[in-house]
Amino acid sequence: MQSTARKDQIREFIRESLASAKGITSFSDSESLMENGVIDSLGIFRLVSFLEDTFGVRIGDEEITAENLSSVDTIENLVIKKTRK
Amino acid sequence: MAYILQQLLSKSAAQFPEKPAVWARGRSISYRELEEQSNQLAHLLRERGVKKGDRVGLYFPKCVESVVSMFGILKAGAVYVPLDPQAPVDRIGYIIANCGIRVLITRGEKRRGLDERTRESLEFCLVIDDARESGNGTGVVPWAMLSAYPGAHAPQVTLTETDLAYILYTSGSTGRPKGVMLSHQNALTFVEWCAATFHITSADRLSNHAPLHFDLSVFDVYNAMEAGATVYLVTEEIALFPATLASFIETQGISVWYSVPSALTLLLLHADLKAEKLSRLRTILFAGEVFPMKYLKQLADLLPGADLYNLYGPTETNVCTYYKVERDRLASMDKLPIGVACENTEVFAVNDQDEMVTRPGESGELYVRGPCVTYGYWADPEKTRKMVVPNRFQRPFEEKMYRTGDLVSLGEDGNYYFLGRRDSMIKSRGYRIELGEIESALLSHPAVREAAAIAIPDDVVGNRIKAIVAAHQPGSIKSGDLQQHCAAKIPKYMLPELIEFRDSLPKTSTGKIDRVQLTQDSVPVAG
Repeated sequence: MQSTARKDQIREFIRESLASAKGITSFSDSESLMENGVIDSLGIFRLVSFLEDTFGVRIGDEEITAENLSSVDTIENLVIKKTRK
Repeated sequence: MAYILQQLLSKSAAQFPEKPAVWARGRSISYRELEEQSNQLAHLLRERGVKKGDRVGLYFPKCVESVVSMFGILKAGAVYVPLDPQAPVDRIGYIIANCGIRVLITRGEKRRGLDERTRESLEFCLVIDDARESGNGTGVVPWAMLSAYPGAHAPQVTLTETDLAYILYTSGSTGRPKGVMLSHQNALTFVEWCAATFHITSADRLSNHAPLHFDLSVFDVYNAMEAGATVYLVTEEIALFPATLASFIETQGISVWYSVPSALTLLLLHADLKAEKLSRLRTILFAGEVFPMKYLKQLADLLPGADLYNLYGPTETNVCTYYKVERDRLASMDKLPIGVACENTEVFAVNDQDEMVTRPGESGELYVRGPCVTYGYWADPEKTRKMVVPNRFQRPFEEKMYRTGDLVSLGEDGNYYFLGRRDSMIKSRGYRIELGEIESALLSHPAVREAAAIAIPDDVVGNRIKAIVAAHQPGSIKSGDLQQHCAAKIPKYMLPELIEFRDSLPKTSTGKIDRVQLTQDSVPVAG
């Protein structure tokens, strides 16, 4: 998959399914989605299910961390790392 | 004996000056530093005109400076008001105007995010991070200014236990948050009961999971200070990630934990908890919502050595009843009691005939009396008269009691059991939510004709919120637009996760929106 397409999908899901429900319209790829309130404790698990279903990866509980999931950029990196395995 | 909260800190600072008092974001502050910096802050506030009883707002993500600020404000004789840093600026503006906050402790970026009218209503902002905008006439005072003030003693202010200490804003039925006024005595009644009941010592490490505008924080911060223990503030980068949170508990050696049950449920489901890693955890307190029995049983099995307590109480009384989980009864229990009254507190249920409930099996609305009961709501005498009422069960002298609005039953075992709310207030993730407040936000959109918010029970978070909306012109508005419209008016935790559009809403025979029908339509039938 093209890197831009993958990133677009991630950004689109976060915008449509998480940010919009919080009334947030714009966020950058590098911005912390926890600090701006886009992702809350339930949002984390919806995001993980989306990544697993869309990219066919398996994300373990120990990988659900701020380092991996804090921004669009870090989420993309996690998916790249997982799909390479 | 302490009769005002800051005495808890001063006593421990004399006894354990070099011990860490507060830890947050990898940084800690000793008791001596906390005592000195809060003295300096109190002098700064007094010199700049803050007087006894003035409200000072705290508006930044929690960090070491949060606790310095709480004590500095109290030592100036003022009242602190913690504001949710993630709340919409509209709501923050409303609270600032409602309780007349003229001084705000904040971060530069938070201050810039306020609307102009709110910013101009402030005398000054004490900014904890950057000093770029400070200077004469800007209304911005940098935190670094603290060092210019004396740290050895607090300013001289006469206070008694009946003075206000803080105001906590909670969800209100009229569509606006209401400010619960809490005195030093209100807080200390709870803190002293906790100290004696949970035997907190200077060797303990307490977590602070709840946000500071949530009354669960009162225990974490003040009971740590009371005992000379250390409180570890759990910030979002830790709290949102169960595995990270579990390793935080292990690494920091947390011994006493207090949170909403859903935080514990998420840990159980997603953190791969190992008993040996959490061996320091000796006491787990939970409050704010009903803990689903299946997860409580899992927690009890996982940590056989820990004492588990279910605490109950609205912000207006802090905790007023408690139940220590009886491990030998747990397997056969299908409902968790809220227990019995805390010391120095009386609770009783009043039935529809306005009689006190005395026999097991009977139910009624729970009332609370004692020094834990709030004076009422800031600048809202009408709401105060409705909820903080004269004690009609005893006449010789004037006394107030608080009607919780919660229906309870008295069990055979002498414990009270929570049955539900009298009105439409629900809990989600431990937050109190008035469905009416969500509905008024939805209805304020010009395209919306009818709206109802309903709660869908959920094992993990308590309730999920769904809205059903009928537009004036069907199809004229999209779910995302409506969510954004609401987001400017109500906090994120109140936003409906799902919005369903219908041409019209079902009505009851009296012409009211049929919420029972809507709820039945939305909740999958069990079995």
